[in-house]
Amino acid sequence: MGSNVVEATEITKRYGETLALDGVSLSVRRGSVYGLVGPNGAGKTTLLGVLAGLRTPTEGSFTVDASRVAVLPDTPKFDPWMKAREVVDLSLSLVLPGSDPSAVDAILDRTGLLKVAHRRVGGFSRGMLQRLGLAAAVVGNPELLLLDEPAAALDPAGRREVLNMVNDLRGESTVVFSSHILDDVEEVCDEIGILNGGRIVYEGTLEELVRGSSRLPSYRVRVRGNGDQVVDALRVCDWVTDVSGGGDTVIVSAGSAAVIERELVRCLARIDIGVVSVAPLERSLEDVFLEVTR
Amino acid sequence: MSLWRLEILRLFRTHRLWILLAVFTSFGVLGPLTARFLPEIVAAFGGGIEISVPPPSPELAMAGYLGNALQIGILAVAFVAAAALAFDAKPEMAVYLRTRATIQRILTPRYTVNMVAAIASFVIGTAVAYVGTAVLIDAPRLGGTLVASMLLAVYLAFVVALTGLAASFVRSVTGAALISVGALIVFGIIGLIPQADQWLPSNLVGSFDALIAGGEFAYGRSLLSTIILSMGSIAASFVLMGRRET
Repeated sequence: MGSNVVEATEITKRYGETLALDGVSLSVRRGSVYGLVGPNGAGKTTLLGVLAGLRTPTEGSFTVDASRVAVLPDTPKFDPWMKAREVVDLSLSLVLPGSDPSAVDAILDRTGLLKVAHRRVGGFSRGMLQRLGLAAAVVGNPELLLLDEPAAALDPAGRREVLNMVNDLRGESTVVFSSHILDDVEEVCDEIGILNGGRIVYEGTLEELVRGSSRLPSYRVRVRGNGDQVVDALRVCDWVTDVSGGGDTVIVSAGSAAVIERELVRCLARIDIGVVSVAPLERSLEDVFLEVTR
Repeated sequence: MSLWRLEILRLFRTHRLWILLAVFTSFGVLGPLTARFLPEIVAAFGGGIEISVPPPSPELAMAGYLGNALQIGILAVAFVAAAALAFDAKPEMAVYLRTRATIQRILTPRYTVNMVAAIASFVIGTAVAYVGTAVLIDAPRLGGTLVASMLLAVYLAFVVALTGLAASFVRSVTGAALISVGALIVFGIIGLIPQADQWLPSNLVGSFDALIAGGEFAYGRSLLSTIILSMGSIAASFVLMGRRET
């Protein structure tokens, strides 16, 4: 196990005829924030349930090297007659009995719930319940924190607080963070796993994913004048694999970034046109996500 | 905050304790009143038709109390217990609990607090019926009442245990309560077989009238089987709910 908190090998989970997980293998480094992304029905919640010990895999094996594992479901719910402070207090007393009770108010304050700590949770909005769930999960200092869409129901301020909390947990806890919001994953996760149809179709760092995807390296050229002239000039270059555009923007692709970096400016210099900018075409996680889950 | 306090709060804040108390206590009041004034009630509403009713007696009053209190009371006990024991009915709350405590740690306070609440409500209802009967008619046999109450308390604990077992087969609160009540009815039907009756929990229900009327204690076998079935139901629910996926 070593530096990995989670090590899963070929996990399969069937519900009757439905194959929810199909040979999933993944490793999560201790202290890292691991993003689990995938379309609806990809198996993210099932995988988190397996890792939390709430579901038994049909096949395969996994080890979790953590004594305190906390889970935040995508829609946390509690007995409506409980008060917010009681939810967090109970969590602390179950996970770390005998702890300093001031930790309860501290985490309620951190999640913006201190003012409503005395209120029954039956009247809480979905966003408040999500904050409360996060408070109850984090108060026990979990070694492994499994967050299922933790920011999905939050307003922008709440979402920012959750992302900040996850960032703060880096190094203290290991976080597995499932989300549809790819910007969030891009912001907080060190590594990601893309789950599609119950299979991990990619696992690694974001940089590796974006760099190593099947799409060829591309540059965007912005010109002052007629871009068609640039397109025509580039089309005859043997190192160019694809060129498109017109107007004031041209996109050019080649077999490698090194070739473009060496040849593009040289080629543009031969054309009588004003060049505003030349920059690599950055590809977002969303682009790559759509590509690998296609 | 502990899981024990959680269960006590559940009973108070959901008003379920008051429901249990209201059921048993109201019949504790009505049983002696009805028995004492039955001739007058029948005369007032009989429409001139002469209906013969037995004279008021402590046995009649206590039997009237128990007959009504147990019918509604068992339903109430089953639903109140199911609301606590079928905790997988709310998967998100189940995740909260199951990732923090073992199934034994979760269920033990739920069984205990619900059994105590059911028995306490029944005992209070019986005490009210006893005092009411003593004031309005005559004091029922104290020894018989105490022994019969003890047997019925064991039976109510069995109802809670059976509801817990039912909750390990279905996730819904209503489903668990109805399965439990249905199983009690089946026990009652099997109890129609004379040889089987003495071994069945349902036999304890009949002990109340008989012991208050001065009958002999002949419930050792059904008491033993009820205790064994209760413990077995609880143990089985630990295993079954422990295996259940959330």
